[in-house]
Amino acid sequence: MKLKEFVRPSSVEEAHQVLEELGTGGMALAGATALHFMQGEQPVTAVDITRLGLSYIREEGGYYRIGATTPLADIQRHRAPRWALHEICRCMATHQLRNISTIGGNISRVFPWADLPVVLLAMDASIVVYDGADEQEISADEFFRDQPARRLAGTGKLVVAVKVPALQAHHGFGSVKVVRTAAAFSMSTVAVCLSLAGEKVEAARVAVGAAVGIPQRLPEAEKLLAGRHIDAQTLDELARTVETGVACRSMEGMSPEYVKHLTGVTARDAAERAIQFARERAQ
Amino acid sequence: MKDAELTNPCRVSFVLNGEPHTFDTRPDEKLLDLLRRNGYRGTKFGCGQGTCGACTVLMDGRAIYACLLYAMQAEGREVRTIEGMGTFDKPSEFQQELIDGGAVQCGYCIPGMVMSAQALMEAESTYPDEIVKEYMDGNLCRCTGYEKIWGALRRVLDRREASLKADKAEKPAP
Ligand SMILES: Cc1cc2nc3c(=O)[nH]c(=O)nc-3n(C[C@H](O)[C@H](O)[C@H](O)COP(=O)(O)OP(=O)(O)OC[C@H]3O[C@@H](n4cnc5c(N)ncnc54)[C@H](O)[C@@H]3O)c2cc1C
Ligand code: FES
Ligand code: FES
Repeated sequence: MKLKEFVRPSSVEEAHQVLEELGTGGMALAGATALHFMQGEQPVTAVDITRLGLSYIREEGGYYRIGATTPLADIQRHRAPRWALHEICRCMATHQLRNISTIGGNISRVFPWADLPVVLLAMDASIVVYDGADEQEISADEFFRDQPARRLAGTGKLVVAVKVPALQAHHGFGSVKVVRTAAAFSMSTVAVCLSLAGEKVEAARVAVGAAVGIPQRLPEAEKLLAGRHIDAQTLDELARTVETGVACRSMEGMSPEYVKHLTGVTARDAAERAIQFARERAQ
Repeated sequence: MKDAELTNPCRVSFVLNGEPHTFDTRPDEKLLDLLRRNGYRGTKFGCGQGTCGACTVLMDGRAIYACLLYAMQAEGREVRTIEGMGTFDKPSEFQQELIDGGAVQCGYCIPGMVMSAQALMEAESTYPDEIVKEYMDGNLCRCTGYEKIWGALRRVLDRREASLKADKAEKPAP
């Protein structure tokens, strides 16, 4: 991606206005780490959105509000009761990239290897978008239904925050990313968020990314877990359901069948982690 | 049309190794290219795509890849490069340990390693292996197998941790 101009608006309103006026000739710029993957397009004017006070993590009522330009490193280092996002952020890219890549940049243009959309889908997060007049809250399901960048491009709309529900006492969360080397792109990322009632799963949300084109929820897996007793049989069935139900792509010398199997096993691991999380933090 | 003709000349100001500077640049220029063009050649070009760490510099105390950062993103920031760390006559403590430990072969990765280690030392006060790995996970070395670099860093960190602890013990409780 080529940059022909670089502008620094001083407010979210101004950034929206400038981007709207520029249309497809403008682009919001956060960490700029993705531009390397966006080659061959027309030169654009970069609108720097990193100085607009959008870098924060706040606890507000029943959720955490994370500003769109909060670097992944800050999310990784944040600690709060039942905070769960640090686990996946620690596994994303390298220290230098986590210091500059932002949550907004990771989700506004979804690359196949993007990890945060998977986690946000499982956690039933919502994405706060500023449209020039108001802030709209869009569910992760709706936001990731297809490539968000296609909907945002040329409109001036900006992701300003992400709202992640705070987990309750009986809630558990687990995310597992399979990589060949620590800093490599994911081969399969699965996240599971569930609530327990004693030894049973009350309800669950399961999402997958990397192995599939765009991150998605797995309704069959969620249905299987709901109301089920927690035992090895349930977890084995979960792995099989995911393996047979998800359409995977081939990658890095791996057949789609192998990636399916890998994703099934990864879902089992993520569910085990979520159960452990819920049990360890039962109070 | 040449690439340079597509972009407009502009200027960027930031503090570099403690001194305020203003540079001529273009919106498309990466910080790494600006630095090297202006004589700061200790910061290396390796992969140019955010995977090797040879180009690591500190911006506002955090390690970043200068090959991915546009120079214009550094406006008003505080940037530190290897030139600000030590000299041949007066190497930093870690640089001296690297030399003494025979941890440098071709040396190409070393400036980046030193910058990441500096970020670690300034941000943390204890250095368990997990934290050290986290700060150093974005720097590759194709020569040494890491053992000697790790050993040199560990010696510096152990001394630093002990001295921070001693300082704390000396300070009377408020
Ligand atoms: C070598 C390498 C390895 C990586 N590994 C991983 C990995 O393992 N997992 C992973 O998930 N990610 C990984 N990433 C990061 C990921 O690919 C993106 O580069 C990163 O998430 C983008 O964040 P950014 O803040 O730099 O966004 P930018 O590059 O600034 O922007 C990305 C896109 O989003 C748009 N945008 C940014 N912010 C907003 C906003 N607030 N509102 C509207 N639009 C916006 C921009 O216009 C642009 O189109 C890796 C990156 C690199 C370079
Ligand atoms: S040159 Fe920047 S990470 Fe390799
Ligand atoms: S000493 Fe050669 S790359 Fe590290």
